[in-house]
Amino acid sequence: MVIIEAKGLTKEFKIFRRREGVVGAFRDLFTRQYQVLKAVDNIDFVVRQGELVGYIGANGAGKSTTIKMMTGILVPTSGHLQVNGFCPHRNREKYTRGIGVVFGQRSQLWWDLAVIESFRLLQRIYRVSEVDFQQRLHRFEDILDIGDYLHLPVRKLSLGQRMRCELAAALLHNPTLLFLDEPTIGLDVLAKANIRDFLKEVNQTLETTIILTTHDLGDIEALCSRVAIIDQGKMLYDGSLDQLRAHWGEDNLEEVVKDIYQGQQPPGVKGWGE
Amino acid sequence: MGWVWERTKSIAWYTEIFFHYGSQYLKSKMTYRADFIINVFSDFFLQSMNLIFILVLFDHIPVLKGWSREEMMFIYGFFLIPFGFYSGFFNHLFDVPEKYVIQGELDRVLVRPMNSLFQVIVETMRLELVFGVFVGLAVMVYAAEKMNLTWSWWDIPLGMMLATGATFIYGGVYTLLASLGFWFEGRMGLMPLVYNISNYGRYPADIYKGVVRFILTWILPFAFTGFYPATVLMKREEYYYFGLLTPVVGLVFWAFSYFVWTQGIKRYRGTGS
Ligand SMILES: Nc1ncnc2c1ncn2[C@@H]1O[C@H](COP(=O)(O)OP(=O)(O)OP(=O)(O)O)[C@@H](O)[C@H]1O
Ligand SMILES: [Mg+2]
Repeated sequence: MVIIEAKGLTKEFKIFRRREGVVGAFRDLFTRQYQVLKAVDNIDFVVRQGELVGYIGANGAGKSTTIKMMTGILVPTSGHLQVNGFCPHRNREKYTRGIGVVFGQRSQLWWDLAVIESFRLLQRIYRVSEVDFQQRLHRFEDILDIGDYLHLPVRKLSLGQRMRCELAAALLHNPTLLFLDEPTIGLDVLAKANIRDFLKEVNQTLETTIILTTHDLGDIEALCSRVAIIDQGKMLYDGSLDQLRAHWGEDNLEEVVKDIYQGQQPPGVKGWGE
Repeated sequence: MGWVWERTKSIAWYTEIFFHYGSQYLKSKMTYRADFIINVFSDFFLQSMNLIFILVLFDHIPVLKGWSREEMMFIYGFFLIPFGFYSGFFNHLFDVPEKYVIQGELDRVLVRPMNSLFQVIVETMRLELVFGVFVGLAVMVYAAEKMNLTWSWWDIPLGMMLATGATFIYGGVYTLLASLGFWFEGRMGLMPLVYNISNYGRYPADIYKGVVRFILTWILPFAFTGFYPATVLMKREEYYYFGLLTPVVGLVFWAFSYFVWTQGIKRYRGTGS
């Protein structure tokens, strides 16, 4: 079953270019110079139920922008996008019931509330029954090891502790689709391993579809059989990890990705990036 | 029928969530025990001072053409009701352009299955300020007693409707101002200006001339937050026509502002990181 279907998906940002100096600022008052940036440029993307897709690309390539369109935060400039049978931004309130979202850069929890209070609020919002709530909470306590700080306010948690809570929060309502934008940012080695195991289990036992962006290729190697690579807004590669390695005749993923980000072509492969 | 049922369920759900946010708000206020106790006392003190100040002040202001002290006091008391709700729920909508739009806090709001404006309001509310409503009621009752106003039972639902309409006007104006943040990124100097204008709503509008009165009635309809509806409750029949329009003006203004908000949401672009 197709969960995400994007065709020609594009997002442009109109950027106001400030001129330098006081004179420049004065001129800006009257005539503004704009520049159009194609953050996501005409991408096609299909994801089926139960897939775990790694979405990578250099800084500023357009990963977060893509995720924000798919989660209904941003309205695409053009193109077709259907997720879980919805047009994300148009049916936002219905659509978001079925998805979970974690942004590594930005907390989804309430800053001043204790973690457990945040969970309780989410329970109401997503109408999770008490039985399901307790059962899921226990599971998260076990696997993510968050039992010790459930009663601390979110702002007092360390980055790694917070990320675990974010994951638990995103999964409390058992979404069919999970978006993770840099979920392992700032985590120690052990925490990373835990979270990877957790995601793998969620993906396998609950058949949760997961889209994940990361700069840690270890995440990709541990979790994803499929990778999509975006470069300056364009989809450069979308296929299996093995195929990618085969294309480059190189087993070390880091080397492969380095070459790709430098704009090199794989030796002897026709039509790369088309 | 199905539609009505769905609506009812949805309203019940929003009410539940609202109270849950409210209790969380109180809890977070209570985390700092000393702070909380001091706050409760200072809020109480402030509101009492406010009340005393109003009572004393009205003994000293000159009578305006055709309006007795008691009547002016009654208008002011009525005005404090929508003003209390505004202070509690809408005042901090002025954070929206900076905090939610520029700093991208709206990302978090938009991925939750709830109305975005509702979320912003409950996240920024200052519940304790709603107590100002009781000061307003006290002033109204006091003034009504002094001018021997006769009440009948239907003044109560009528008063509630008028106060709701007046509150919607406040909500509408501030929603509109917050929405402008989607077009003009960055903080706007408009908020203090509008706040000042809103204060004119508590005086008899017929002391204003032409343009000012027109603005207060039809552009930023603050005359409907105090003067017009209060005259209905005071049985000053010459203003019934305007006064009874209050709920209509409130709904229309609110609907318009909410529409602008939904258009603004579509323009939201978040931050680059
Ligand atoms: N709100 C915005 N306004 C203007 N430009 C933006 C905005 N959001 C993103 N951009 C631009 O769009 C491009 C893509 O940004 P995006 O955040 O999607 O990249 P990314 O792949 O997530 O990068 P990173 O790995 O650094 O997180 C960047 O050039 C960025 O500057
Ligand atoms: Mg990003």
